[in-house]
Amino acid sequence: MKRKVKQVIALLLCIFLIGGLTACGGSSGGEASSTAEGEGAASGEKVELTVWINGKDSYISPDEQKKPEEEWYINQAIARFEEKYPNITVKMIVSADGETAHQQFKADELAGTAPDMANLWTGQYTYQLEDACLDIKDMIPAEDKENILGWDAVTTPSGKILGYPTSDNQVCFFMYNKKIIEECGLDFENNPPRTTEEFDAACEAIKAKGYTPIVTDEAFPWFGCFIMNYWWAQLSGVDRIVANCDGTQKFADDEGLFKAAGYYRSLMEKGYINEDALTSADSFNRFTSGQAAMTPQVSSAVGDAEAALGAENLGAILPPDMDGASITGGTIGGPGQDIVVSASTKHPQECIQFLSYLNSKEEIMEFEKVQTKVSTRKDVTAEDLNIQEGTATAKLFEYSNNMVFWVDNTLTSDVCAEFTQLLSMVLGGQMSIEDFAADLDNAAAG
Amino acid sequence: MKKKTPMARLGRAVIFIVLVALALTFLYPLFFMFSNSLKTLGGYYRDPFGLPKEALEWNNFFIMIRQFKIFKLFGNTLIVSLATVIGLIVFGVPASYAFSKVRFPGGDALYFAILATLFIPVQVTIIPMYVTFAKLKLVDNFFSVILANWAAFLPETIMLMTAMFKSIPNALLEAAEIDGCNYLQRLLHIIVPMGRPAISLTVIIFFINSWNDLFTPMILLKSTEKRTVIVALSSLVGRYSGDPPFQYAGLLLSAIPALIIYIIFQKRIIDGMSMGAVK
Amino acid sequence: MAQKETDKKTGSGTGKLARNQRICAVLSVIPAALIIASVKAWPIIQTVWHSFTNWDGLYKNDFVGLANYRTFISTGLFSKLLGNSLFLLISVPAQVLIGILVAVLLYEKTAGWKAFRSIYYIPQIISLVILGYLFKSMFSQNGPINQILMLLGFIKTPVEWLAKGTTALPVLTICITWYSVGWQVIMILGGMSSIDPQVFEAAKIDGANFFTRIFKIIIPMISSTLTYCVVMSVVWTFTSLFSLIYSMTNGGPGYETMTLDYMVYARSFLKGDQFGFACAVAVVLLIIVMIITFINLRISKAAEKEWG
Repeated sequence: MKRKVKQVIALLLCIFLIGGLTACGGSSGGEASSTAEGEGAASGEKVELTVWINGKDSYISPDEQKKPEEEWYINQAIARFEEKYPNITVKMIVSADGETAHQQFKADELAGTAPDMANLWTGQYTYQLEDACLDIKDMIPAEDKENILGWDAVTTPSGKILGYPTSDNQVCFFMYNKKIIEECGLDFENNPPRTTEEFDAACEAIKAKGYTPIVTDEAFPWFGCFIMNYWWAQLSGVDRIVANCDGTQKFADDEGLFKAAGYYRSLMEKGYINEDALTSADSFNRFTSGQAAMTPQVSSAVGDAEAALGAENLGAILPPDMDGASITGGTIGGPGQDIVVSASTKHPQECIQFLSYLNSKEEIMEFEKVQTKVSTRKDVTAEDLNIQEGTATAKLFEYSNNMVFWVDNTLTSDVCAEFTQLLSMVLGGQMSIEDFAADLDNAAAG
Repeated sequence: MKKKTPMARLGRAVIFIVLVALALTFLYPLFFMFSNSLKTLGGYYRDPFGLPKEALEWNNFFIMIRQFKIFKLFGNTLIVSLATVIGLIVFGVPASYAFSKVRFPGGDALYFAILATLFIPVQVTIIPMYVTFAKLKLVDNFFSVILANWAAFLPETIMLMTAMFKSIPNALLEAAEIDGCNYLQRLLHIIVPMGRPAISLTVIIFFINSWNDLFTPMILLKSTEKRTVIVALSSLVGRYSGDPPFQYAGLLLSAIPALIIYIIFQKRIIDGMSMGAVK
Repeated sequence: MAQKETDKKTGSGTGKLARNQRICAVLSVIPAALIIASVKAWPIIQTVWHSFTNWDGLYKNDFVGLANYRTFISTGLFSKLLGNSLFLLISVPAQVLIGILVAVLLYEKTAGWKAFRSIYYIPQIISLVILGYLFKSMFSQNGPINQILMLLGFIKTPVEWLAKGTTALPVLTICITWYSVGWQVIMILGGMSSIDPQVFEAAKIDGANFFTRIFKIIIPMISSTLTYCVVMSVVWTFTSLFSLIYSMTNGGPGYETMTLDYMVYARSFLKGDQFGFACAVAVVLLIIVMIITFINLRISKAAEKEWG
């Protein structure tokens, strides 16, 4: 009996050891950037780069996930790059979750296993990681600086440039259902509401016909981040908002904030926003099933909306301008993601070569064949991409020329956290704007 | 025998109706996912709660299997989940025997200390853990997830088994001792068979936990070949774009192995009743 | 003879046999303890250490003493989060009671028990994120819950359940209870299976009705299993609700449905560079759960003594 027992235990332990060793053997320690080979700046030496790409909302679309990996745009782009630069190989790793990727990058930096490049979110998300990123300001080719938009999304307040913006110039706008608007006797194509009075009147007309003028899910303040922040920025200016965050000025004295938030709240009070905005989860569905006239969105949502409503039926308009605004006729947006270069990379030059290649006109044109995004290159226009005039996408290309960079990416993280947590209470009237501003000031100070 | 009065019958009928109603609510999520996995993207956005209105998209399932290679993902996840469960049993059963039946110095304190490790949410400990693993070149390696799972689930396992082993009658153990069985033999011939309910519970709960775990494998396993199934599926729906029907197809498929393990082992919980095996 | 769960342990005493027992016991425990200690202990120590710094996850790591704790506890935020977590604890007795009722019914092979046993665990197999999204839709203003309640005449107009803390927290509690019933059922069935079925037969023959059976016989017999269920449910409610709350309410509106563990996640992973602060919140959480569990264990030990 004893022997049998011992045999069983021995067997189990063996299974473990074998399993453990095979699992160990399976890993190739592929996280670390390539082995030390000097500075690696000279061509002719073999260089291996690792780059993290987000699995969502980035270079890989859900459609592509349905195809084998070799057919993905990003892998083909890498193959083309490796052809052009035979001494460089690029290994791509998919980050399952863009948000977690930031903490992961930090952890890898601490452990010394950071990749050469990583796909992160722009603005404060990237600035937080300043110490982990390389300042590539002096390494970027001049023509890239010339032709690519969105550098302010990756430039820290102190002037360091931490990476390339990804070619997805997100544009915020009001998506609208052309049929409904027509039915209400309005013509947003030729006569869009440009002042708040016109906008109110339009909403009133829509409401009279029994449709929800604006539908949104504000548990996370999308409308706030997409549209209200534009009103805030156009009234106070971005510099003022930054000053509020670092304490040199106060949110409590920021008239632009009060005016913008006031108008935001008034839309709810007048019944122009779906009354369950604080808890709804299906605003996009309501829009695409024809119950609502407008919904605040970003350019990436156009594809899905057109799939549901049909491209001829989908319209786009800019948010109306607030009275007395210093910036007009624009909207919020900007590249929401970037690819940074790690501070611990051993091959900075090669990284720049890769990023420059990825953002070249030819590559961007290839990328646009797979996913239609508003590009960051000045020399890629809607015509180049054969986008039909008058469609929502074409208009978004136009709008991208006059954009204020995402305000919530500009806020410092403490303030941003409070902002996104509390704004919906302002919308619902559960919190006054004074209290809201006071909370933001506390967060800025803390 | 049971009384068959009209009151009793009515009572039983009411109970049955309540149980059925509850069961239907438990089944609804599966129905929801199945119904949506058969919709086109546009169809889903137009109506996520109704039945599919256009031709059924069985394609979602085919693509899941062929292009998304969900069976390969199953394989990865299976390695992690099986190794996790085996480890929990191998390390947990002896420890629980000791905690439940033997008084040894430091026993109570150690027990509470082990329990206390459960009180910290995994999000704060995962980064220091990751950094340590990275320095040991253990990342992107199934063993790192397995080890992390052992450390995460052993406290619960030990608590569960200890609680259930307590009801194993001491008379049995004493009798075995008198018969000449040593510690190890008592462990294998009495505790293990009589502890079958606890062991089956462990298998069910922690296999499913490992199988469905999103957070730990997401952080510790990076490369595409090693991804587990839920992590891979999570990349299908983002903030601004996504393919929910496709994701639902994957989620439904991935629920099947978990369900199978449950159905197999839940029988053993009750049937593992040793009862008079004692005598 | 009725089998009771005994607390009697061997190993006390100084004889060679007893000492042998003790050595074997220590050896049994060492592998598990080693794994837990080596993998979890270091991160936990680091967490406690970092709670006294302003660590941002990277290189900023200055000692700030109790500043994080002061910031957290002095604002009304701490009491709000604690209050929310404590409210959600109501789900624990609810889950356990419903679990016992259902488990006994299934054990006694009420009609359809085989199917029910398989079906009741299903929620545990489905990701909480999906369930959270479904719940959110169910309880939305035009969702089915409102429609059913209006049909039955309990309310006149739809209620926006998740828009206020006072209604959202009970809804969350209901959802947590619903989700956890399956787990409680198999746990309790497991506990019941270690009891001689003859005991149940005897009780039935004696004429004890359903509830007497439950409260006078079954519960005392499975008391250590029940203790386990209660303790683990409490710990789970304090430390693992993140994904449910994330998908249902994001902690909102405002901070009305935010719990302590959500705060830990929010400050460390979402827009996180307040890792030091998150660690402080985690340590506070640790202390609170420790206290509650300690009390819990004390109560159950006393109850076991009384019933056993």
